[in-house]
Amino acid sequence: MNVIKTENLRKVYNEGKGNEVLALNGLSLTIDKGEFTAIVGPSGSGKSTLLNIIGGLDKPHSGNVFVDQVDIIALEENERINFRLRNIGFVFQAYNLIPVLNAKENVGFIMLLQHEPKEAINERVDELLTSVGLENQALKRPNEMSGGQQQRIAVARALASRPKFVLADEPTANLDSKSTAALLDIMEQLNEKEGITFIFSTHDQRVIDRARRVVTMEDGTIIADILQAN
Amino acid sequence: MILKIAWRNIWRNKKRSVITAASILIAVFLSLMMRSVQLGTYKSMIDNVVGSYTGYIQIHENGYWDKRSIDKAVVMTDSLMNKVSNTKGVEALLPRLENYGLLSVGDLTKVIVLNGLDFEKEQRLQDIEAKLVNGTLPKNPKDIMIGRGVASFFKADVNDTVVFLGQGYHGMLAADKLHVSGVIDLKNPALNKTTALMSLEGAQHLFSADGIATSLVIDKKDNAPLKSVQKVIAGKLDDTYEVMNWQEMMPELQQTILADNVGGLLMVAILYMILIFGIFGTVLMMTQERKYEFGVLVSIGMKKGKLILMVFLETIILSLLGVLVGVLLAYPIMLWKHYDPLVLPGTEADMMETFGFSAEIPFYIQPDLPMVHASLIFSIALLVSIYPIVIIKKLDPLKAMRG
Repeated sequence: MNVIKTENLRKVYNEGKGNEVLALNGLSLTIDKGEFTAIVGPSGSGKSTLLNIIGGLDKPHSGNVFVDQVDIIALEENERINFRLRNIGFVFQAYNLIPVLNAKENVGFIMLLQHEPKEAINERVDELLTSVGLENQALKRPNEMSGGQQQRIAVARALASRPKFVLADEPTANLDSKSTAALLDIMEQLNEKEGITFIFSTHDQRVIDRARRVVTMEDGTIIADILQAN
Repeated sequence: MILKIAWRNIWRNKKRSVITAASILIAVFLSLMMRSVQLGTYKSMIDNVVGSYTGYIQIHENGYWDKRSIDKAVVMTDSLMNKVSNTKGVEALLPRLENYGLLSVGDLTKVIVLNGLDFEKEQRLQDIEAKLVNGTLPKNPKDIMIGRGVASFFKADVNDTVVFLGQGYHGMLAADKLHVSGVIDLKNPALNKTTALMSLEGAQHLFSADGIATSLVIDKKDNAPLKSVQKVIAGKLDDTYEVMNWQEMMPELQQTILADNVGGLLMVAILYMILIFGIFGTVLMMTQERKYEFGVLVSIGMKKGKLILMVFLETIILSLLGVLVGVLLAYPIMLWKHYDPLVLPGTEADMMETFGFSAEIPFYIQPDLPMVHASLIFSIALLVSIYPIVIIKKLDPLKAMRG
C-alpha cells in the first residue's frame, strides 16, 4: 500500500523573473509503507524541493501529492500543520532541536503538541532514548551534546509520535563515519521494528549503500529508481 | 510546556533580558515615586481645603451656590436630615448658615461673611480651636470670632464689641451688638480679612432664620466613593435641592490640580515612550534571531497560534517581572513616606501654611496606583507583541529555515 503518491509535479523558482529554475519537471513517484528510500542526485536536482512538497512545507505549481491518500496541497495552513504533526517526522541536516529543552523534553515535544497523556509520553521517550542509545543523556540540552548525539535525538523526536513516515534531509551531512553508521543502524532498526517509512535526500554514499531503494534525480526528474539488496 | 519554553527562552540571553526587565523596573519605580508624591500632594491639598472646610459634598436649595443668598436656604426638617444622615457612606451632617453683612467698630465698617457653625459637629472636619490666635470659641449666641485680618482692620481684640448690620432671612433686619470671643487665623489671607464665625444658633437668631441652614455639609466616610455618595443623596432628594461635590463647588482647585497633573502625566508618558522602544528593541531582536527556530517549530507541527502564545508569554513575563520588582521596591518607600511624610523646608513650608495647605506631603499609597502602572506595562507588552505576531502570522517555515 502506498504512503506517498506524487503525480506530475512541477515546481519553478523565480518564475517570470528571467532567472527561472525548474526544480521539478513533471515528477511522479510512489513510495510504499515501510520503505527505506534514498533520494539522490547532484545539487539542484530537486531532491529537497521534492521532500519539502511531500512534507507539506512547499507547494508545487502543478501536479498532485497524496500522503496516506490525503491531498495535502488542498489543505488549509493550519490543517497542513496538523497533518504534519500527526503523520510526518522530520530530521534536518542541522538537527534543529529546541535549544532550551533537554534531550528528553525534545523527544517528547511532538507528543506534547499532540496532547498525549504524560505517562504515555514518558514511556515512549524512555523507549526511544534507549533505542538511540542516549538514555544516559536524557537531561542534557542540545548544546551539551555532540552533533551525532543531537541527530540521534532528532531521529527519536521524529519517531516519537509514530508518524506514517520520516523525511530526512541530508541527515548525515554533518556527522563523522562512526556517528553516521550508528545513526543508520538506529534508523534501520526502527524501520524494521516499527514499520515506519524512511525517505532520505542525501549525497552520502554510506546512506545510499544502506538504502533498500535508491531514487536518482537530475534536473527535476527521476532518471533511475533501483531496488537494492543489502 | 509552552509556559516552560517561554520562561526558558527569556533566559537564553540573560544579559539582554535582565537589562530589559531592569529598564521596566526603573520606569515603574520612578513613575510610582513621582506619581505617589504628586497624588499625595493633591490628596493633601484636597483634604486641607475640602476636607477641612468646604466638605466633599454640600446640599443647598437649588440655585444657592450661584446666588449665595440667605433666602435660598434649606429648612432643616427631620425628614430631610434623616434621609441624608442614613445614606451609606455619610459619616455626619454639618449645618451651616452663611450670610453677608457690615461689621462696624467705631467709625470703621467692613463687609464680612458671617458663618454660623455647630462647633461641636465641625470638630469632625476642622480643628477650629487650633486656629485660635486669641480668646475662645463662641460660647454664647452673641459671641463672635473674627478673622485675623478683620481684627487687624478694626484694631479689635478679644472682649471688644462689634456691630453687625445686614439683611436676614426673607428681608428681616439683622442687626446686633456682638462680643468678640476670639481671633482666628484661617491660614488664608483672603479669608482672614473677610470672615467671622459664630454659633449656628446665634447666627440663626441674628438672621431670623431658626431651623434654617444655607448649606448642609456632608462628612463622608474615607473609603466612600465621592460620586456615588453624591448620586445616592441626589436620588433621595427632589429638585428643590442641589447636591454638589467639591469639584463643582471649587472648580479652580480642581483646575489647578488638573493643570499640574498634566505635567506629571506628561513625564510618565515620556518615560513610557522610551520604555516602549526599549521593550520593542528586545522583542525585535528576539524575533529576528529566532525566525529560523520558528520555521523549525512550524515545520514539525507547532501551530502558529501556539507559537504566538509562546512569544507573547515571553514578552508578558519579562514585562511583569520588571513591574513586580519595581512595585516591590517602590511600595515600601511609599508606605514609609506615607506614614512619615516628607516635610517641606523653611520658606516653602511657611508659604504653603499661609495658604492653608499642609507643609507635609504624605505619599499616595492606594493600590490603584501600582495597578494602573502594571496595566500600562501590560498594554505596552501587548502593543509590542504585535510585531512578533505579525511576523509569525506571515511566516513561511521553509523561507525562515533558509534564512
